[in-house]
Amino acid sequence: MTSDADKVSLRSTAVTARVGMALGLAVAICFVTGLISHFIQHPQPWFFWPTHPVWLYRLTQGLHVISGIAAIPLLVVKLWSVWPKLFERPFIGGLTRQLERISILVLVASMTFQLSTGLLNIAQWYAFKFFFTTSHYAMAYVAAGAVIVHIGVKLPVIRRALGEPLEPFLAEQVRRGPSRRAVLWGTGLAVGLATVVTAGQTVPWLRRLSVLAPRSGQGPQGVPINRSALAAGVVGSAQAPDYRLTVTNGSRSRTFSLPELATMPQATRSLPIACVEGWSANAEWTGIVLADLVAAVGGSPDADVRMISLEPPGPYSRTVLPARHARDPNTLIALRINGQILNLDHGYPCRLIAPSRPGVLQTKWLSRIEVVPA
Amino acid sequence: MALLVVGLLTIGYGAALVLEHPWPDTLHIAIWAAAGVVLHDFVFAPLCVALGLAGRRIIPRRWWTPIGVAALCSVILVLLAVPVFDRPGARDDNPTVLDRNYPLGLSLSLSAVWATALLYMIGQRLLPIRQDDVADQQSADNVDSQPQPVRPDGQQGGGGGQPDRER
Repeated sequence: MTSDADKVSLRSTAVTARVGMALGLAVAICFVTGLISHFIQHPQPWFFWPTHPVWLYRLTQGLHVISGIAAIPLLVVKLWSVWPKLFERPFIGGLTRQLERISILVLVASMTFQLSTGLLNIAQWYAFKFFFTTSHYAMAYVAAGAVIVHIGVKLPVIRRALGEPLEPFLAEQVRRGPSRRAVLWGTGLAVGLATVVTAGQTVPWLRRLSVLAPRSGQGPQGVPINRSALAAGVVGSAQAPDYRLTVTNGSRSRTFSLPELATMPQATRSLPIACVEGWSANAEWTGIVLADLVAAVGGSPDADVRMISLEPPGPYSRTVLPARHARDPNTLIALRINGQILNLDHGYPCRLIAPSRPGVLQTKWLSRIEVVPA
Repeated sequence: MALLVVGLLTIGYGAALVLEHPWPDTLHIAIWAAAGVVLHDFVFAPLCVALGLAGRRIIPRRWWTPIGVAALCSVILVLLAVPVFDRPGARDDNPTVLDRNYPLGLSLSLSAVWATALLYMIGQRLLPIRQDDVADQQSADNVDSQPQPVRPDGQQGGGGGQPDRER
């Protein structure tokens, strides 16, 4: 009973090209937003990252994870649409054919690598033995390059496929069952569903629907945390009665006890905490404007400022805040969150909160603030 | 051609960054990447094909679309649930990560998907048959004679049994 309908396959270049365009867009968003996050964390002289709008990093990193998750159904359907080509003959073929097959192998391997490691990372499941950040960064170039090569090779095919009608006319009359249009609609639905069940970790009004998001958005004082005081090993030192915050500028140095910090002029700012893992939450932070503390030791507004945590030395126990962010009046050394004294896990006694920065660089449990000599 | 050069240079840069890792890490990265291809091409894809072929034999053709879309959505939900389902990344010191009831979330979302597919199928049954559906049931020979053009510019009136070719 093989009719013409079965010969006119749903798997077609017309479907592949269209799903591929959406996948290419998702990959492009992922790549660009990923690079932004990388260069904020590894600043280069040519890289500029603004302090405004304060939610800019929340947006770019939220998009990074959302587009990455959206790429999963797109990749599944894209690979479904071309999978039989894997077994096409000649299996080996000439040099051109081998090169094409190798380029597709690199493409599929790097894409599945990026999407699988990214998905595991946001759930903090480190099932792999390599370091996530460096491998995800390196493989991003491989994936992006492989996509560019693939587009370069397939451009004539893509052009032809997009120029032709989606449905072959013959099939229109003999078929009852799925159309290619239905494949595209179904793919769109799957992308929408994947987004809805996860994006609530950064889009507050989706929270109740995001049943598979690694974060519900709940946490102490209404904000999730990533690194606990226990994991950072600061439970004792952060609550020590002799706690002092030291602020230095070259040889000039001042120390502040917690009561002294609390009697300084306080400012309240509404700023998001936005994690590299794609979750984010807004909060009202109250504390001392960093620029005031820097001025108290005669620091220049054009100097970068180093933040040093009580946490024993590690990759994130100290960070350098660029001058642009250090002098921004929104940047606080926060003592309170949402009207309450900072929870130990939010960085008690005091922490950095700056606009449009990754959460991992918003140093908690501050012990020293150093104005970096220009 | 320019795309090829840019793409190859980008791949080369990424490969160089991968090779900067200590060699056991580089090896593990390569294994993970290769495993993705093998799992997709020789486990995941054949399973989907087998299920699809089985489904085609059992399920009436008119239900293929809603069931196919629901199956795709289910596969995606299951893939997204893998890293959270029994919370392998959970740590005692941080209850704000993986703080949802994921088995419940997965069952609810799967139920919603299949309930929607069911409603679609019922809707297909109850709603009046559209012209397209009539055309879909006809064979290529089963086309009525052309109605007379109403206006000289060739626009047709009525449509008769003409399948909708504008789709």
